[in-house]
Amino acid sequence: MKKHKTEITETARTESGSWGFEALFLEHWTSVYRILQRLVGDPEEAEDLALEAFLRLYRNNQKQPEVQNAGGWLYQVATRLGLNSIRDWKRREQYELTAGRFALEETAQLSPADILAQEEEHQQVRLVLARMNERQSQLLILRHSGFSYKEIASALNLAPASIGPLLVRAEREFGKKYRALVQEE
Amino acid sequence: MRTHLTDGELRAALDGELKSEQLHHLETCTTCQTRRQQMQTMSSETDRLLAFFKPADEPGPAARAAWARFSQQISQQQEYSMTRTWFSRPIVRFGTAALLLLVLVLAFPGTRALTGALLNLFRVQQVQVVPVDFTGLEQLTGDGALGNHFTELISDSVDMQQEPGEPAAAASSEEASQLAGFNVRIPAGMTPSQINVTSSAAFSLTLDRTKAQALLDEAGRSDLVLPASVDGAEISVDIPASVSVAFGTCPRPGSGVSGNNEQSTTEGRYPDCVILAQIPSPSVNAPADLDIEALARIGLEFTGMSPEDAASLTSTVNWTSTLLVPIPRNAAIHEQVSVDGVTGTLIQSTGETSLFALLWVKDGIIYTISGLGTNSQRAVEMANSLP
Repeated sequence: MKKHKTEITETARTESGSWGFEALFLEHWTSVYRILQRLVGDPEEAEDLALEAFLRLYRNNQKQPEVQNAGGWLYQVATRLGLNSIRDWKRREQYELTAGRFALEETAQLSPADILAQEEEHQQVRLVLARMNERQSQLLILRHSGFSYKEIASALNLAPASIGPLLVRAEREFGKKYRALVQEE
Repeated sequence: MRTHLTDGELRAALDGELKSEQLHHLETCTTCQTRRQQMQTMSSETDRLLAFFKPADEPGPAARAAWARFSQQISQQQEYSMTRTWFSRPIVRFGTAALLLLVLVLAFPGTRALTGALLNLFRVQQVQVVPVDFTGLEQLTGDGALGNHFTELISDSVDMQQEPGEPAAAASSEEASQLAGFNVRIPAGMTPSQINVTSSAAFSLTLDRTKAQALLDEAGRSDLVLPASVDGAEISVDIPASVSVAFGTCPRPGSGVSGNNEQSTTEGRYPDCVILAQIPSPSVNAPADLDIEALARIGLEFTGMSPEDAASLTSTVNWTSTLLVPIPRNAAIHEQVSVDGVTGTLIQSTGETSLFALLWVKDGIIYTISGLGTNSQRAVEMANSLP
């Protein structure tokens, strides 16, 4: 399991003696970008959103230099930005096209029909996540992005012991909303 | 004796996150093992659907390249924080707050019945400054959950019929007038360094009363109760093209990223920049029986004004023609001045960075002149030299 947040944040802090923002950025960039790339489907949009998440962390740090758990804050804001992006119908129309093209380029070993079917399913998953309670969506996104319970708890300000029960509820809600969406279409 | 595992614990077991004591129970309890198997079956479809989130080593922007881009943004931010300082503090900060207040007011229309007949409700003829505590507004515009929910509410409620484009440069006041559709005025004897025209915009707003009330509740203001009848009221807003005329060395509008606090850098870089902005009054159409006074009272109370002060103010304001401009209660002073043949309002910030802004309305056009420093007299002189 890759390290994601808290431990790395502490490293960044101690290296500079105050706030090693560059170290923090370099440690977290790939992970933040990849989560957003999967969440919104469009690499360019994902890059913009990842930069925006770091920018917000940077600004927040200027206002509150003593902020704790900066890494967790970063993932919470990044996933929120991604979910907001999906909710924005104008962007969604655009990235549905872009994501389809991107999927075709990235998955050359499958037939175009399979790729499009797969991407359509991914888009449905994204829509369901955007329609769900935000906390539940973030739980599912972070868990399926490989975060440990401890890391999820740190990112979302939850007790580690509550992650299991919350994931169960989130999965049930996801399943319910996904089936409803498929029936809609 | 340990009881059977909960669903949450079984989920943790599937994720390899179960504590050793519970794991031991699971290894010896056939009931829990059966339930774990059932849960695994139920979760398998969700796991499959979300599997594309699984980390993989596909190419993406390298961290170093991304850091370079980020650093460039920060650098631009410092360079162009003038944009924020000027447009965000005297104009956009005040203006955004004004717009926000307007949105708050408009978001809570007190229609007792949606008649379908729309009344031309609002056209700015005068400006009134209202000192408020920004805490409530900053909650709404911040990165917290409340800010996010407010964004969601606005996003869900607003239908943008026409988005404003990027500011377009104009070579002269004549060209700007042609582009903007109104007579752009420039102080006599002064040569602009930039003239930029932003095209018109239009949107409509349909309120979901349940969500709006939930937002107030979440903000800890459940004492402010929206009438049940506001639900579904539709308000349309037309914002005409606007013109920004810059004098001295000024940043280009629209080129900055989100701002930070590097005012000292920008004060050094743009010491002589003054910006004159002009825009015909936006117009608002709303259901004829909109109880705007009650809604404005809610908006003002939300910003921290006492119920008594809010009631007193709302009873004296002509809501069909007055643009309320909120200013920070303890960080700005204001006074009425005679400019351009009418009465204007001069605002001087007393916060960390000195800023001034002069606002007035003449012949249906809203004017603002803003700049850094305390030489607000310059704004008055400029306004009085307009042709």
